[in-house]
Amino acid sequence: MARFITRRLLGMIPFIFLVSITVFLLIKLTPGDFVSNYAASLAASGETVDDAMLASMRARYGLDQPLLIQYWDWISGVARGDFGYSFEWQQPVVSLIGERIGLTLVLSLSTLFFTWAIALPIGVYSAVRRYSIGDYIFTFLGFVGLAVPGFLIGLVLMFVGVSVFHTDVGGLFSPTYTNAPWSIARVGDLLKHLWVPMIILGVSGAASLIRIMRANLLDQLNQPYVDTARAKGLSELTLLVRYPIRVALNPFVSTLGFILPQLVSGSVIISIVLNLPTAGPLLLQALLGQDQYLAGAFLLLLCAMTVIGTLLSDILLALLDPRIRFQ
Amino acid sequence: MAGLGEMMFRTLATFVAGVLLAGPALAAEYHEAPALAALVAQGKLPPVAQRLPQAPEVVQPVQSIGHYGGVLRTAVRGDSDHNAILKMVGNMGLTRWSMDYSKPIANLAESWATNEDASEYTFKLRAGLKWSDGVPFGADDVLFFVNDLLPNKQFFQSPPSQYVINGQPMRAEKIDDSTVKISFAGSYLRFPWVLATPLGQHPVLYAKHYCQQFTPMYNPDLPKLLTEAHQPDWPTLFRQKCGDIEIPARWSNPDKPVMDPWVISTPYTGGGTQVVVRRNPYFWQVDPAGNQLPYIDSVNMKVIGDIQTMLLAAIGGQFDLLVRHINTINNKPVLAQHAAEGGYSLVTLSPTDSSAMALWFNETELDPKLRPLMRNHDFREALSLAIDRDEINDIVFLGQSKPWQVGPLPGDKFYNEKLGTQYTQYDPDTANQMLDKLGLAKRDGDGMRLLPDGSKLFLSIDAMTADTAAIDVAELVKKQWAKVGVNIGINTMERSLYYERAQNNAYDIGTYAVPSGLNATSDPRALIAIQTLDSRQSLPWVKWYSTGGKAGEEPSDSMKQRMKLWDQWKQASSEQQADQLFSQICALAADAFEVVGTVQGVTTFGIRSNKLMNVPTSMPNGWDYPNPAPTLPQQYYFAN
Repeated sequence: MARFITRRLLGMIPFIFLVSITVFLLIKLTPGDFVSNYAASLAASGETVDDAMLASMRARYGLDQPLLIQYWDWISGVARGDFGYSFEWQQPVVSLIGERIGLTLVLSLSTLFFTWAIALPIGVYSAVRRYSIGDYIFTFLGFVGLAVPGFLIGLVLMFVGVSVFHTDVGGLFSPTYTNAPWSIARVGDLLKHLWVPMIILGVSGAASLIRIMRANLLDQLNQPYVDTARAKGLSELTLLVRYPIRVALNPFVSTLGFILPQLVSGSVIISIVLNLPTAGPLLLQALLGQDQYLAGAFLLLLCAMTVIGTLLSDILLALLDPRIRFQ
Repeated sequence: MAGLGEMMFRTLATFVAGVLLAGPALAAEYHEAPALAALVAQGKLPPVAQRLPQAPEVVQPVQSIGHYGGVLRTAVRGDSDHNAILKMVGNMGLTRWSMDYSKPIANLAESWATNEDASEYTFKLRAGLKWSDGVPFGADDVLFFVNDLLPNKQFFQSPPSQYVINGQPMRAEKIDDSTVKISFAGSYLRFPWVLATPLGQHPVLYAKHYCQQFTPMYNPDLPKLLTEAHQPDWPTLFRQKCGDIEIPARWSNPDKPVMDPWVISTPYTGGGTQVVVRRNPYFWQVDPAGNQLPYIDSVNMKVIGDIQTMLLAAIGGQFDLLVRHINTINNKPVLAQHAAEGGYSLVTLSPTDSSAMALWFNETELDPKLRPLMRNHDFREALSLAIDRDEINDIVFLGQSKPWQVGPLPGDKFYNEKLGTQYTQYDPDTANQMLDKLGLAKRDGDGMRLLPDGSKLFLSIDAMTADTAAIDVAELVKKQWAKVGVNIGINTMERSLYYERAQNNAYDIGTYAVPSGLNATSDPRALIAIQTLDSRQSLPWVKWYSTGGKAGEEPSDSMKQRMKLWDQWKQASSEQQADQLFSQICALAADAFEVVGTVQGVTTFGIRSNKLMNVPTSMPNGWDYPNPAPTLPQQYYFAN
């Protein structure tokens, strides 16, 4: 086990290096650069900027240097733990990402638990009581959840909130607490706001998980080992939890690797619509504005998370499923 | 704009007299916000009379004298929307616009005078002005920018063009602490106008006593500072700390002294969810009753990424003032519908744009078969006659505008009827005949015209996805032109690609509003190809002009003539001469007929809370006039 983990960890280094080249090239492949984007974004809102200023900016940010030199400047910094400066915000990339990553984790993890807390029991119920009224109702709701885009649910909920209940639009804090230091009251305020995005973000995820869980479990329920266990007199609940559910969980765990990067990038549109101070909107902005070091750092982070997530899911699978063995 | 000459040459006598008459006679009569009074009582702040200049500017409120207090709620977007803050609080130049956008008036400079050929300006600064940290503001601050920063090759690779005449940047000379003489290498009649625009703020943007520590000229210990801040060079550090006119960093340092009515307290940063600016205790304007402005304690700008979300918050009554982003014509019904329950009224934003949407035919089209057509006056005339502008007005602009080409709007002193109204009637029959005569009489099986060599005539229109008006207009034009057999495709794309294609000259027709319907000389990009990003009648022409003929492509004779006139206009030493030159430019542009307009710039609407007083019911909406700041938000107040 230890050898397996070490080997995988060592393999990550050249992989991340290749990823960094791809990421950098991808950012550079798009037309223009940060400065031309900056000028275009001002021009698009009817504002103007002097050409001499643009030329100065380009020189100051090193955007007039050859690609290889720009890449080297960046990657050598990253190797030293310096992810560079965001052109747009004139702030270190690390502090920009750091500012937002905390709340992103809170929101994403609570959404994850919410999703699982809803999806697993309902999925099991739907499978065990197949074609019952309850199954039909959950199936219907599940397909609605899958079909309606989250941002639309968000907009509708916000419209109802604003026009009927006169609540604030979006955000994770009330105006009073937005910039207050952390305190019990501020945590309370966060919890008061957190459930709305949590439900909106969780609905489509939960819907698909319900379907997966139902299908997986249905496969297992007709297996001979279930009949055997039942014949031996195990109670229905013990039987379910101990054998078929455990097997049916396999796909959940093996897709865990993709949940980690989803924590950062999965909810971009919903975060923008709901105005959540999470990492997604910042990533989108950085990509659109070609703020290359900020975008690069984000993309590297996402790739690293995917690699780590896959490793974690492999380890968990080995623990969960006795059929999987290391060679 | 009449009276420019008088204005420049008269000394400030009248103005100062007006101020003295209207203003309180005794310093003791000045009043201040309760919070500041409390600080004074605790000894943490000098008394108000010592914080104000000797003769503070007395601002006439729009409606009534207000009272102190309140938080003004508004919104900014999350990306590259730093100019929203500038337009709300940051418009204090040496001069500023009169509220009606007709002329520049005294601001930080209480008066100015100029020599005969308008190459030297002597600015008299208000005596006793102070930065927001209480340090006196004066000639040295202006000199710091003009003489130390402007000519510095590290700070500006080349100095911004608004400060350069005949290739030479302006120079400043200190007469005394509150008098500065700024001189140019030639006439610069337009300078006071430039100083009133956002791009003319540099001379009063940097507080020398604070910002000098970030320059090698004044701080020998700078390398240490650079290492501590992990910055490669001093201009980067300088801009990070002291900002520049339109970068987000201008609003990210609460320690930076400013001359604005409010000072940044919660900065605009990448992770920020709101921006807060608080009252400047040293602000230098008072109302006629001697109350120091601003009335309102702070401005709270919520950072919202999505415009629909912003609109939703607006109709929910969550903003006290919002005149940006939501002010598209199609939002008017929803804003009006919820006005009563949201507790707000609509603010009319009168357009400064000449055309709400114009078709910029590429005069330097790359396709050799299309090029002669694109450059043909009659081709553009025929296509203009084939546009049903009333239909566009009714469908896209809710009937709020009227047919129009380009150029100064009626009421502007350069109004040229031909430039604005020629070929705006809908006449598909004449259009058909004209197109037939151009060698396009042959048609394909779908009734679409063929080029003389038998290949299909096809033009593509570039439009930005975010610019919904452009896309809607293009859809209608496509339908209307199909009736005269001209086939076009609409090519919608993301902003950066749209600009990239323009720079590469890889488009047939660009779509964009035309600015400067009022104050026509401020941005004549549709009349003369001089704007490097947006003069889409031909960007190679712009390049030819800006490089003095070394790069780009030689323009048409008419355009070359206009460029020459424009150069002469910039150098004109009298208003009469300047106006005459610009009128010639308009006449030549009318004959050349390069940019095809649709309808006039359209009136849009922002919102203001019913409790927020002293907001003009209508204000120009523009960039050179960065509303609402020129309507002086410092004199807005909340009714009880």
